[in-house]
Amino acid sequence: MIDTLVFVIGGMLAAATSILFASLGETVSERAGVLNLSVEGMMATGAAAAFGIATLSGSHALGFIGGGLAAGLLSMVFAALVLVFYANQVAAGLAVGILGLGISAFIGKPFEGNTIEKIPKLDIPGLSDVVLVGPILFHHDVMVYLACAMIFIVAYVLKRTQLGRMIRAVGENPQAAASNGIPVRLVRCGAIGFGGFMAGIGGAYLSTAYTALWAEGLISGRGWIAVALVVFGSWLPFRVALGAYLFGGISLLELSLQSHGVKLPSQLLSASPYLVTILLLAFISRDQYRLRLSRPMALGQTYRNES
Amino acid sequence: MTTRRELLALTASAVALAATANAARAEGKVKMGFIYPSPVGDVGWAHELDEGRKKIVEKFGDKVEAVTAENIPEGPDAARTMNQMIADGAKLLMIGSFGYMNDGLKLAKQYPDVAIINASGYKLDANFGNFQTRNYETSYIAGLAAGYVTTSNILGVVAAYPIPEVIGIINAFTLGAQKTNPEITVKIVWLNSWFDPNKSQEAARSLVAAKADVLFSLYQDTPEVVALAEELGVYSISTSSDMKKYAPKKYLMGMGIDWSPHFIDVAAQVLAGSFKGTSYWGGMKDGAVHAASLTPDLTPEQKKVTDDAIAAITAGTFHPLTGPVMDQDGTEKLAAGVAIADGDMASINWLVKGVETRIPQ
Repeated sequence: MIDTLVFVIGGMLAAATSILFASLGETVSERAGVLNLSVEGMMATGAAAAFGIATLSGSHALGFIGGGLAAGLLSMVFAALVLVFYANQVAAGLAVGILGLGISAFIGKPFEGNTIEKIPKLDIPGLSDVVLVGPILFHHDVMVYLACAMIFIVAYVLKRTQLGRMIRAVGENPQAAASNGIPVRLVRCGAIGFGGFMAGIGGAYLSTAYTALWAEGLISGRGWIAVALVVFGSWLPFRVALGAYLFGGISLLELSLQSHGVKLPSQLLSASPYLVTILLLAFISRDQYRLRLSRPMALGQTYRNES
Repeated sequence: MTTRRELLALTASAVALAATANAARAEGKVKMGFIYPSPVGDVGWAHELDEGRKKIVEKFGDKVEAVTAENIPEGPDAARTMNQMIADGAKLLMIGSFGYMNDGLKLAKQYPDVAIINASGYKLDANFGNFQTRNYETSYIAGLAAGYVTTSNILGVVAAYPIPEVIGIINAFTLGAQKTNPEITVKIVWLNSWFDPNKSQEAARSLVAAKADVLFSLYQDTPEVVALAEELGVYSISTSSDMKKYAPKKYLMGMGIDWSPHFIDVAAQVLAGSFKGTSYWGGMKDGAVHAASLTPDLTPEQKKVTDDAIAAITAGTFHPLTGPVMDQDGTEKLAAGVAIADGDMASINWLVKGVETRIPQ
């Protein structure tokens, strides 16, 4: 029983980490008014690049940086399409996402089906050995804690800093922001790049730490979940994070129920993470007035610098 | 999500087409085309099919030219790839997925001089054959070994969907384990997904948390479950490929597949112009399946039991599903001494007593 509790609650933090990175990145991008639907492809590119770099260099740190940069670079293709060529954000996002999946297959080809050493779990002396709490909270790799820290950093920057105000202004009303001297396209470009980098880190976490394997199709839809979480979490970092952890936890609970022989149809169990997460976040975000405060009004709209 | 994969595959098949077009320029060789549903990695389904192709080239050398197209999704892309290969002069097509069956059969009728063989399918024609392996024979051996090495008496299976072949494999595995350890319980996690390595790894963890100390990675094409089992210090079994290199210490057994006897046979028929479509269901006696890298942790007496079972199955004197066999509700499905018929095995939809998890309805 204790093993299962540790598996579900402790495992939840690690299970959510990849989605959390990606969805926090997408939150920033969307708060700046840019809907980037290429998260799945960016995660795949980041995962493949990180796996290749970590395998060849033997350094996980280099892998993560490389994975983040590769996906960040890909997001710049998207940025060029929507900010320079004024392409429709939805279409450009889908196209770049498909491109990213193709790139990931290409980079990952020599490594198809390979495994890699996982990044080590941190053992915090004293804390890691506490019954139940130790293995649940204090026996994870460093990226799990970093993802957790990113929630607070992203929330703080968006809410309390000048940069955050600029990002939100650009997502709210780019024309007004521009007339106040904010470089709209530069801010949006930065937000897109941050989103790409974070998606790449999320993908890298899957391929070099969580499952520690590269195979084409590794991301299997997690990028789409990250995008959905941003909307259902009403663009607020803490709600988005809650959604990610909830999704991670229920996915593990579902498997655990099956392995304990609970007699529920497994198809229903397999669908449960999606159902529960969506229902709960929809419930939290049911206040339409508050929702309007956090929803970026210019989300998805093409901004032309007409002066 | 299908659309994304399809669009992606479009590029992939375009590349594949270019490859076949180049290959067609080689003169004086009998051309053969091999189409795989997934990328050819170091291990897994497509890798084993490609090993079979390599053996053809090894055997017939200059007389054949065998081109490949990998990661071709079922549907229009597969049909187009097949068409292109035939247009390029292929005389034999190996189409490596169940879902290629209908498109392949259509082409077989259109081009009676082209031989086509289809993995896991069931349809037949004069120039259209199908092939599969009797994996339940090797899963029985894996069960015998699992029954010996487990200390918790709980065996965990990570499986995709409950199709008859998977159910047959799990039944033989359970019966084998019960033979050497009557206390055994088998737990299954159904992933309800054909490919999601992250999820299968999580499923494996959940089984270990539920006290399983042998993990059966059933049709997971990638080695994450095997690698995780090694990390957690539990035994693992894998299908399709020998994955010992991912778990040097705790690998229990690989359900090895060898397509080369059948492929070479078919290639020889094609070269002689005598191909006839048949249903090939290769077992141990055909050399199509074998117990690969069986763990050295068995005692000599235990090893003798597995060796004897392999010998009996190879000789055809023993079938893993021989009665008395009860299903999960305790209904007798096979009377004492009666072995299951091939037709019943191919459509099996009940799990034996001792498997805790139900088949999702």
